[in-house]
Amino acid sequence: MKALPSGPVRPGGTRAVARNTVLYLIVLVVGLFVVVPIGYGVLGGFKNNGQLSNNPFGLPDPWIFSNYTDILGSVTFWRPLWNSTVIALATTLLCVGVAAMAGFIFARFAFRGRELLFMLFTVGLMFPFAVAILPLFVLLREFGLLNNPLGVVLPQAAFGLPVTIIILRSFFRAIPSEIEEAATMDGCTPFGFFWRILLPMARPALATVSVLAIVTSWNNFMLPLVVFNDPTQWTIPVAVSQFNSQYSQDTAKVLAYVVLAMVPALALYAVAERQLVGGLASGATKG
Amino acid sequence: MTASSPMPRRAFLGALGAGATMLGIGACSSSGDDSGNSGGDPNAAQTIEWWHIQNTPPMLPVWQELADQYTAQHSNVKINITPIENEAFKARLTTVTQSGDAPDIFQTWGGGVLKQQVEAGLAKELTGDLASIKDSLVSTGVQPYEWDGKVYGVPYDIGMVGFWYNKKHFATAGISAPPATWTEFLDAVRKLKGAGITPISLAGGAKWPGHYYWTYLSMRLLGPDGLKKAAADKKFDSPEFIQAGRHLKELVDLQPFQNGFLGAPFDTPDGEAAVMGNGQAAMELQGQWAPAVQKEQSGKDLGADLDWFSFPAVDGGKGKVTDTMGGGGGFAVGKDAPPAAIDFLKFLVTADNQRKAVATGSVLPITKGAEDAIQDARQKKVADAVSKSTGFQLYLDQDYPPSVGQTVNDSVAQLIAGAMSPEDVAKAVTEAAQNA
Amino acid sequence: MTRSAVDEAKPARAREVPEPPADSTGRRRFRTDLVTIVLFLLPALVLFGLLVLAPILLASYTSLFKWNGLGGPPEDFIGLDNFTRLFSDKVFLGDLQHAAILIALTVVFQLPFALAIALLLCQRIRGRMAFRLLFFAPYVLSEVIAGVLFAMVFSPNRGLANHLFGLVGLEDLATNWLADPAVVLYSLFFVITWKYFGFHMILYVAARQAIPDEIIEAATIDGASPWETFRYVTLPLLGPTIRISIFLAVIGTIQLFDLVWVLTRGGPIHASETMAVTMFDFGFVRSQVGYGSAISVVMFMISFVFALFYQRFVMRRDIEGAVTGMRDRR
Repeated sequence: MKALPSGPVRPGGTRAVARNTVLYLIVLVVGLFVVVPIGYGVLGGFKNNGQLSNNPFGLPDPWIFSNYTDILGSVTFWRPLWNSTVIALATTLLCVGVAAMAGFIFARFAFRGRELLFMLFTVGLMFPFAVAILPLFVLLREFGLLNNPLGVVLPQAAFGLPVTIIILRSFFRAIPSEIEEAATMDGCTPFGFFWRILLPMARPALATVSVLAIVTSWNNFMLPLVVFNDPTQWTIPVAVSQFNSQYSQDTAKVLAYVVLAMVPALALYAVAERQLVGGLASGATKG
Repeated sequence: MTASSPMPRRAFLGALGAGATMLGIGACSSSGDDSGNSGGDPNAAQTIEWWHIQNTPPMLPVWQELADQYTAQHSNVKINITPIENEAFKARLTTVTQSGDAPDIFQTWGGGVLKQQVEAGLAKELTGDLASIKDSLVSTGVQPYEWDGKVYGVPYDIGMVGFWYNKKHFATAGISAPPATWTEFLDAVRKLKGAGITPISLAGGAKWPGHYYWTYLSMRLLGPDGLKKAAADKKFDSPEFIQAGRHLKELVDLQPFQNGFLGAPFDTPDGEAAVMGNGQAAMELQGQWAPAVQKEQSGKDLGADLDWFSFPAVDGGKGKVTDTMGGGGGFAVGKDAPPAAIDFLKFLVTADNQRKAVATGSVLPITKGAEDAIQDARQKKVADAVSKSTGFQLYLDQDYPPSVGQTVNDSVAQLIAGAMSPEDVAKAVTEAAQNA
Repeated sequence: MTRSAVDEAKPARAREVPEPPADSTGRRRFRTDLVTIVLFLLPALVLFGLLVLAPILLASYTSLFKWNGLGGPPEDFIGLDNFTRLFSDKVFLGDLQHAAILIALTVVFQLPFALAIALLLCQRIRGRMAFRLLFFAPYVLSEVIAGVLFAMVFSPNRGLANHLFGLVGLEDLATNWLADPAVVLYSLFFVITWKYFGFHMILYVAARQAIPDEIIEAATIDGASPWETFRYVTLPLLGPTIRISIFLAVIGTIQLFDLVWVLTRGGPIHASETMAVTMFDFGFVRSQVGYGSAISVVMFMISFVFALFYQRFVMRRDIEGAVTGMRDRR
C-alpha cells in the first residue's frame, strides 16, 4: 500500500492550516471510536470488578496483574491457542495447495468446459458460510468427522477455495508465456513448470492468500462451535465465548481473556498487514 | 526445489498426508479412550468425562472434592471435569445431542429433553445399575428420569419453584403477609410499585424464568393432572391456558419488572439473581438454587431479609396451592461411558456425600436421610413443600421435547414483552406440540 | 473469504474470448495433457463438491421433510410445508426486516462514513498510514471477540457506554443498549460499523489511489470546486468499488451470525435476530432440522438471486466499462 500523494493541497496559507486541523480532529475522533473499546478492555483487565464499576475510564488504581497472569498461566488460554494455530495452518496448507493446482489449470490450460468449471467455483463466493452450516453438520456426522480437527479443516479449506483460486489464477495468468515456453523447451513437464517456476514466482500471491486463509480460519466461530464438543479441542473464538459465560460474574477477568485472545490476530496483522490488505483489496476488486 | 519434479510432488502430498494423519491422531486420542473401555472391566484404567453446570461456588468445589475423593479410592479412574455455565451448557448439549457423541456424565433435568437424548442413542439406560440404590432416593425426585419402567438418570437434587422475596421491601410497602391468592399477589405488586420498589426481578433474556409464571398459572387453573392431560393430548388451547395467559398479562400490565428485564440474563452481574441479591427488587420466582446464585452474582447476602412463599392460588382454579412445579438436577450417563461412571454417580448420592452438597444451600437432598443437612430455615420450607406436594410437574421446558419446551419459553417471553396475546401463546404451543 | 471477489465470474468469461495468440504455440503440448488437468483439478473439485455444493443440495432435500435430525435419515416427507410455515413465521419475517434495516443503515451511514474517512486519509495528513492501519484493525479481530468486548461496553451497570453518557452529562440517554427491543438493532449496527468500516475504507483507499492524480488535477485546473471534483470526477471513478463494497455488505448482513449470537442471541424477543440465528436455533437447539434447512435454502436463494440481479443490473457497467477502462489506463 504505497500511498501516492494526492488531493489538491496548496502549500502554505492559514486556510490550509485550518483545514488540516479540522481534518486532523475528525481523524482523531474516529481514532477514539476505534481505540476506546479496545483500551477499555486492556485497562479493564488490570482492574477488579469494583474498579470497573466505579472507575471505568481512569487508570487502574491499584494495577491488578492477576487477571492477566492467571490466564497466561492457564491451559484454558494456551490450549485453544494451540488448537487454533494447528487448524489455521492445516487449513491454509490444504486450501492454498489445492487452490494453486486448480488455479494453475484455470490460468494456463485451455480445455472445453474450463470457464464453466471456473464459474462453479466463483459461484461458491455467493454461499455465505452460515447457509451451509446445518447440512454441513449432517454431512460431517455421516463422515464421522465431528469432534475431529479435520471436520473443521476440510470445510474451511473448501470454502476458502473460491477466493484463493481467483486470486492465484489471475496472478498465474500474469506470468508471461515466454517463461513457460522457455521451460517447455528445457524439457519441463507441466508439473515441473508449476512446482519449480510458477510457485516460486507466485510467492507474493501465495503469501497473500495464505494470510487470508489463516485469518479466516482463525476467526471462524460457527463451524468449530458445532463440530467440537470436547473442550480440549476448542479454538480461540469458541473458548472466548465459553469463557465469557463461564466467568460472567467476573467482568475484569473476561476482559483480560478477550484482550489476550486479540493479541495473536493483531500480531499477525502487524507482520502481514501488506498481504492482508492487499489480498482483500485485490480479492474484492480484481476484475 | 532442486530435485526433479516428481519427487517434490510426492514430498508435497506426503506433507499433506502427514498433516492429516497428525490431526487424525489428535482426534482419536480425545474421544477414543471412552469407547475402548465401555462395558469392560471396572478395574481397568478409565477416564470419566464429566460435564456439570455448577460453574461457580458453592457447588463447584464440592463436586471437585467428591471427584478427588473418588479417584483417591479408585486409582484406576481419572475424572475430567468440565463445568459449563447453565445457558452455555444447554446450548452446547443441543449440538452434542445432534452429534450423537455424549460425555460420560452430563447434567440433565430428565423429562422430554432427556427422553429425546435417549432416543438419539445418547444416554444409557440405568435401570439395572441403579436398582440397588433406587429405594434410598426420594421417589418424586426420580420420576423425571423414569418412564416405561426404565431409569435413565441419577438425580442429585429435588426442589421446586416458588417466590423468593425480600421481607424488608414487603414491610416497607406495608405488606404484612405473603400473598395467598393471585389477586392478593397483584395487590402486593401494586403496593410495592407505590412504595417505589421494583416488585419483581426477571431474566427475560434467558426466557426460562418467565415460563414459570405461565406454567404455575396453568397448573393452578387446570390442576396437575389437567396439565399432564393437555400435554398428552397436545392441546394447549383450552380456555384455562388462555386464562393463564390473561392472568400473566394482568401482572405484566402492572409493569412489575426491573429496568431492562427483557434482555436480562439470569446468572450474571446484571442478571435477575444479582438484582435480587442487591436488594433492587422485592421478589423473584425461582427454584431452590436462587439464594446461592444471588450471593454469587451480587457478592451480597440478603441474610434474614430473604424468605420464601409458594406460588399463590388462583380463584376458581382446580389446582391446589400445594401442587408444585419444579425439579432438580441430575446426571445422565453417555452411551460409551466406562463402568466407573455409574459407580461414581452412586458415590455422589450416598447420604454422606449428599449432605456435603446440601450443606452449600444450593441443592436439596434427594437421598433419604440427608435432610438433616439442610441448615437454612427457608430451604427447609422449600423441602417441606416438596415433601407435602399434592401434585408434581417438572419444568415444562425440560418435561416437553425441546421443540415444544423452547416454544413455551419463547412464546411466554413474547407475552411478557407484549408481542404476543394469551391466545397466540396457546396457539403457538399447541402447534409446536402437534408438530413435534 | 466469502466476502470478496464476487465479481469474478463475469469478467472471467469476458476475458476468455480474446485468448492471446502468443500463448498458443507454447501451450499446445500442455493443452492436450488431459491427465494433468484432471489430476490437478480433482482435489479442488472433490473438496468443493463434497463440502460446498453437496451441503446446499442436501439442505434442499432435508428442507422437504419434518426431521429432528436424530437417528436415521429423514422419512416424514411434507413437501413445501416448511416453506409455507416459514413465510408465515413472524420471527422469520422479522429477520428479513432486520436484514433490510441493517443493509439500509450500512448503505446510508457506514459506507459513506468509510468513504469520507478513506478520502480524508488520502489527503496529506501526518500519520495517515498509522490511522489507516488502526481503522482496519477491528476487521482482523473475530466477531466473537468484538461481541464479547461490546457486551461489556453496553452492559447497563458496569458498562462503558452508560458511564460515557454520564460523564458528559447526558445520563438521560443512558439506556439498556442490548435489552431494549427498540434500540438493540442500532446497538448492533454500531458494533458492525466499528468492526467493518475499516474494511470498506481500505477498499476505497485502494481505489482512490488507483485514480491517476492528473485527472483530479485537471479538474481542479479547470476550475472545479472540491465538491464538484468529488461529485463528478472522484465518485464516478470510485463507482465500481462502491458497488462491490455494497455487495459485500449485503452478503455479509445476510449471513450475520457470530456477532449476534455472542451479543444478544437474537434477543430481546427476537428484536435483533437474523436469519442465520433463527436457522441455528431451529436446527441445533430445537431439533427441527427440516425447518432449519428450509431457512438455509431461503438464505441461499436470497443471496443467489441478489447476486445474479446485482451483477446483471448494477455491476454490469463496471465490468464492461469502468474497471477495464481504468485498468487499461494503468
